[in-house]
Amino acid sequence: MGQKGFFTDTTLCIGCKACEVACKQWNQLPDDGFHFTGMSYDNTGALGSATWRHVAFVERPVPLQGQTTGVGDFSWLMMSDVCKHCQHAGCLEACPTGAIIRTEFDTVYVQPDVCNGCGYCVVACPFGVISRREDDGRAWKCTLCYDRLGEGMTPACAKACPTESIVFGDLDELHARAENRIRALHERGVTDAYLYGKDAENQPGTGGLNAFFLLLDKPEVYGLPPDPVVPTKKAGRTWGAVALGALGMAAVALGSVLLGREARP
Amino acid sequence: MSPPVIGNEPTFLDKLQRKRDGRNVDPALGVLSGEGAQQRVKDPEDPHPERRPMPTLPSQLATERETAPSYYGLPAVKEPVWIWSVPTYLYVGGAAGAASLLGFMADVAGGPELERLGRRGRWVGTVGDVLSSGLLIHDLGRPSRFLNMLRVFRPTSPMSIGSWVLATSGGLNTLGLLLGQRRGWPGVVGRCATAGAGVLGMPLAGYTAVLLCNSAIPVWQATHRTLPLFFMSSATAAAGSLLSLLPHGPAEARVLRPYRLAGKVAELVMGVAVERDAARVPEVARPLHEGFSGTLWKTSRVCSAAGLVLDVLPGRARWKQVAADVLTTAGALAARFAIFHAGKASARNPQATFQGQRQGLGAAEVAGNTVASDGKPLKFPLPVLR
Repeated sequence: MGQKGFFTDTTLCIGCKACEVACKQWNQLPDDGFHFTGMSYDNTGALGSATWRHVAFVERPVPLQGQTTGVGDFSWLMMSDVCKHCQHAGCLEACPTGAIIRTEFDTVYVQPDVCNGCGYCVVACPFGVISRREDDGRAWKCTLCYDRLGEGMTPACAKACPTESIVFGDLDELHARAENRIRALHERGVTDAYLYGKDAENQPGTGGLNAFFLLLDKPEVYGLPPDPVVPTKKAGRTWGAVALGALGMAAVALGSVLLGREARP
Repeated sequence: MSPPVIGNEPTFLDKLQRKRDGRNVDPALGVLSGEGAQQRVKDPEDPHPERRPMPTLPSQLATERETAPSYYGLPAVKEPVWIWSVPTYLYVGGAAGAASLLGFMADVAGGPELERLGRRGRWVGTVGDVLSSGLLIHDLGRPSRFLNMLRVFRPTSPMSIGSWVLATSGGLNTLGLLLGQRRGWPGVVGRCATAGAGVLGMPLAGYTAVLLCNSAIPVWQATHRTLPLFFMSSATAAAGSLLSLLPHGPAEARVLRPYRLAGKVAELVMGVAVERDAARVPEVARPLHEGFSGTLWKTSRVCSAAGLVLDVLPGRARWKQVAADVLTTAGALAARFAIFHAGKASARNPQATFQGQRQGLGAAEVAGNTVASDGKPLKFPLPVLR
């Protein structure tokens, strides 16, 4: 038990996509077609209902700290993206059926036998992770290998990662490990390295991510939002506006009825 | 002849590997029991439509990347999967809620001569509630599981609150319609039910805006303080116009005219407020000015304004009144579709998400943080000191 999560260190990622393949195989997910996107080595595109791990390849004619190439200004960034299992999860808070639950491992899990495919989690996720498969009609996302965790095993992607870019474990240990890694990188001169979504202090909008990342460039470069917020945090003000509107509606309705009565010839 | 689309035709490899369900597991040799094994694939020949080939080489996008970085221009949030029935419901549910409320008020304060207006309001409310449920069930990915909506009550989910409000309002309206005219205790029950449905009409007209605003879609989230007021005033205008289009007597007309006009004026004012709210970040407001959603939004504004002008013009010709009410109805309906499609366009544009958050529309709006998740100040490039 305890809080489990992933620490994905993108400086160690070599873009082998073993995590993508292991995830598809273990979870027996259908393929998404074999097609060429033209986006560097990334022919997966984005996370989706049948893609629970996605390796992003950022290929740019821009120099980066700690990278030396023989071809002048050029750099690689690779990052294995996954559901973040947020502390305040937008999908979970939006789910009207109770299909999305928080497990004993502090992960976020969609129960396929309860989901009725309303599609509200899809718009509630600030990271664009969960999605509804149209031919299936339900919403799907990474389960953090709930079935494997129950047996005391490591999730398929972390098990398959050959460079330990994806590390699975208790959140406390992962935090300590990540801090050590950042310190080592900064000492080595890679001062741009930072942790994305480690805790509530780092990312107040989500209260921290159970699957957090070590990144080298702005979050946008990897397709991640720079200041994500769980939509529910703003709901109070919106309901306030509804209360104001209700007062107005009642006043207009009552006023019209009284006016209409008085105007009787 | 149009050029062939790269990436959508099944290749030989596709045909070879995707024979069964895109999993390539022979049922005679392997068991499908994984977490994703239940995911149904209807047409394995049809690739999952989520990706388009790149228009240019990655390296040629470099200049744009430095000022407005993104991952190959791909969306940062998922596009809403909802279909036409959802914006239609936004209109129907709103009008039903406002009509129930007016019916209730006519019962309470109107006296015997407005009894017919009360009944009319209940009828429109009941029919609207039933129609709304149908529209919402039609949109579900698994319509047979619609009752799961009432499986739990989750206050953090506007959709859960809305499901309960809609179900209760529909039930109470029906009860009021059946028992409202009876004598004795059934009549008391009926009148109480009418009161309940009337009160619930207000959240029914407003919660749909909370439902949209409580999302990661930039343009919806950015308008979270004004959209409920716009939806509720638009619902008032729509219900007033709808009740005016139905046959009614002079007593009812005297009530409907101020009701309708107040709704129409409020709708026009709140529409401007919604635009201003979104315009805090130009990239977020863009779908309200450009493309399909922009055209719809402009159409709705013109229709609503024309509906109001025609309504206040002197003259008692029937055609003038009918034209004004039809224009207002069209304006309210177009507004819901415009907001809906603006959300879709907004989700597709990663810069709406990124620039909105960089300019303070993300967590900073509620948490007050001044740094982004990368530990650097929200805005970039940083100011250059000379």
